Amino acid sequence: MAEVSLRQVLNDTLREEMLRDENVFLMGEEIGNFEGSYKITAGLLKEFGPKRVVDTPIAENGFVGMAVGAAMLGLRPVVEIMTFNFIALAIDEILNHAAKIYYMFGGQTPVPMVIRTPGGGGQQLSATHSQNLEAWFAHIPGLQVVAPSTPGDARGLLRTAIRNNNPVLFLEHLALYNAKGEVPEGDYTIPFGQAKVMKEGKDLTVISYSRKAAIAYDVASRLERENKLSVEVVDIRSLRPLDGETLVNSVKKTGRAIVFEEDWRSYGVGAEIVATLQEDAFDYLDAPIKRVASVEVPLPYSKPLELAALTGAQELESAINDLAPRRRRR
Amino acid sequence: MAEVNMPRLSDTMQEGTITRWLKQVGDEVKRGDVLAEVETDKANMEVEAYDSGILERVVAQEGETVPIGQVIAIIGSGAGTLKGGQPEVLVTTQSGQTPPVAPSIHESAAVEQPSVFAGISAQQNGVGVNRMFIKASPLARRMAEEHGIDLLQVKGTGPGGRIVRDDIEDFIEQRTISPAAAMQPQPVQPVGAAPASISEISMADAEVVTLTSMQKTIARRLTESKQTVPHFYVGNEIDMTEVLKLRQELNVALSEEGIKISVNDLIVRACALTLEKFPEINGSYKDGQFVLHKKVNIGIAVDLPSGLVVPVIRDANTKGLRVIAREARSLVAKAQTGKLTPAELDGGTFSISNLGMMDVTEFVAVINPPQAAILAVAATRKTFVPIDDQPVIRDIMHVTLSADHRILYGATVARFLKEVKHLLQNPFLLLV
Repeated sequence: MAEVSLRQVLNDTLREEMLRDENVFLMGEEIGNFEGSYKITAGLLKEFGPKRVVDTPIAENGFVGMAVGAAMLGLRPVVEIMTFNFIALAIDEILNHAAKIYYMFGGQTPVPMVIRTPGGGGQQLSATHSQNLEAWFAHIPGLQVVAPSTPGDARGLLRTAIRNNNPVLFLEHLALYNAKGEVPEGDYTIPFGQAKVMKEGKDLTVISYSRKAAIAYDVASRLERENKLSVEVVDIRSLRPLDGETLVNSVKKTGRAIVFEEDWRSYGVGAEIVATLQEDAFDYLDAPIKRVASVEVPLPYSKPLELAALTGAQELESAINDLAPRRRRR
Repeated sequence: MAEVNMPRLSDTMQEGTITRWLKQVGDEVKRGDVLAEVETDKANMEVEAYDSGILERVVAQEGETVPIGQVIAIIGSGAGTLKGGQPEVLVTTQSGQTPPVAPSIHESAAVEQPSVFAGISAQQNGVGVNRMFIKASPLARRMAEEHGIDLLQVKGTGPGGRIVRDDIEDFIEQRTISPAAAMQPQPVQPVGAAPASISEISMADAEVVTLTSMQKTIARRLTESKQTVPHFYVGNEIDMTEVLKLRQELNVALSEEGIKISVNDLIVRACALTLEKFPEINGSYKDGQFVLHKKVNIGIAVDLPSGLVVPVIRDANTKGLRVIAREARSLVAKAQTGKLTPAELDGGTFSISNLGMMDVTEFVAVINPPQAAILAVAATRKTFVPIDDQPVIRDIMHVTLSADHRILYGATVARFLKEVKHLLQNPFLLLV
């Protein structure tokens, strides 16, 4: 298998889907001539022309609404919101239209649209450009929310998102665009609602997604190499629907869990995961589940302050050491 | 709100039985007040309050046996007083370190867990069910249930003393390695319920007696001793004629002072002087090392209706007969009234068990670990002894030393007995 960057995989997958289905088209700010702020759509305007790669005005409310209408009429729009932070302007279209129409029209009018958008902090983009707002959307019935951590998963999940008849929020992470990974050949898809055990372990489970899952995998692999602890890492991949079963099975095995998330702790994705585990794995829990999340402040611009506010490998490792059982499991 | 915990009153204490509550629920309690009397494996002790307030709740009732560190009562402002709320409920086990000797009180779990207390009163059904509230993870609880483990027997090492999976696994492992040791503190079989192993004997014709703390300790420690200490035995016969004469003379002379020297006091004195020369016999085998004690502290076994105690005469080698006699008499009296303190029971380096008054020809005793030896003293009897090929009647006493073969060898023990014999047969040596 080839090692490809996540950026390249997204570009390849969009191109393939556009070739596969002529109803698939792209919309967004600066995605055509400028080829995208993060170059995800590089070369696509040239290849597919302005009818299928549409540069929009700076008007999220307008073009997300346009995408909802296009999807209702049978097209498969893939919208890029330049950063996750700008999605606030389009929330009415997402919440009250995209997520509702399929239901409210008695199943007669699917809304097969995808919103791709990069979130996350760590680039010194400050408080209004570094947020992780996924919990808002994962809360809404009628939406599907996925957040891959590897190029291989990104390809499979993006295919599913585009071919799916529901509105999908496809979360990218600024710090993962250059991450490389193996990408399987062939036209595979990854069904939503299937978490992935990235690494097996026995002492405790770290549950995560997106960039934090990648960090968790690195930390766990290092601890295993150093023969310290055997940490299982589960990437939920899909926030809605959430694969409770895989999480519960992992905790049944290890008895202890940490949710590692980049969003704020209060009312965050971790809260939902912890609630699910205590409901379905109560008799298997050997310790309270920990949440390792970002400090609850608007993210500062200053690099040292930004680093202090964002959670990372160090915070995760210290939580692992806190939570680890006294004796290692054999 | 403060928890009163079962204090650890001696090194070997694992649990205590509440014999009497001196304060009742609702009583005002001052720091230092005696709350209750507790029977330990060694003595009856008093539990003092370490906080002032109102005795809100008595958790362990009279007659109840409770592991050390477990809550026996709650002292608070009076707001939570629960009169007549019996039987009450145990809240946590081992909620922290128990100090080595002093009674202890923890300000912790009760305050953090109001919901636990709220739940208790709601769940009381008043039919004498003692529901145990123990801090344990859900997983630990499930495992304990699956393996038939009583969580009260498991020490929690998780945060705040929570019992976690590791603790259950440790417990299971220990139980597998040494079933006797791990199973020992199990609750005593209730009357009428026959343990499977003796089911062939009809229990209908038997009376089943619940052991006191002391009896449980004796059973445990002596089993441990016989199973782990390789005993060997060396006997000797000592001509007591001269020492008995001396004793009679001394007692006549000391009668005005009210001092009476017993045969046993003379044996204690003889052993104490001899032990100075035989440090191994005054030693212990511990973790692959010989520990040679600098002090000679001699325990004397005292028979009680409920068992046996071994109070200790400290620095016996430095004490004359007069002092030994006085101390021994006081210790025996305290033993018989259950007033011995742990300090009077701890620290023995050698023991003497004397059944001479019971007309015993000879016997062997079980070593009292970590000591290395115990001297069993039988009755002194008029016996024909050949002296210059003529039969002469002398007072002969049989003694047997039980010795730990890990630290002691036959020749050492033989030499020790020979020296004790020499002192008792030349009793003026006991006077210097």
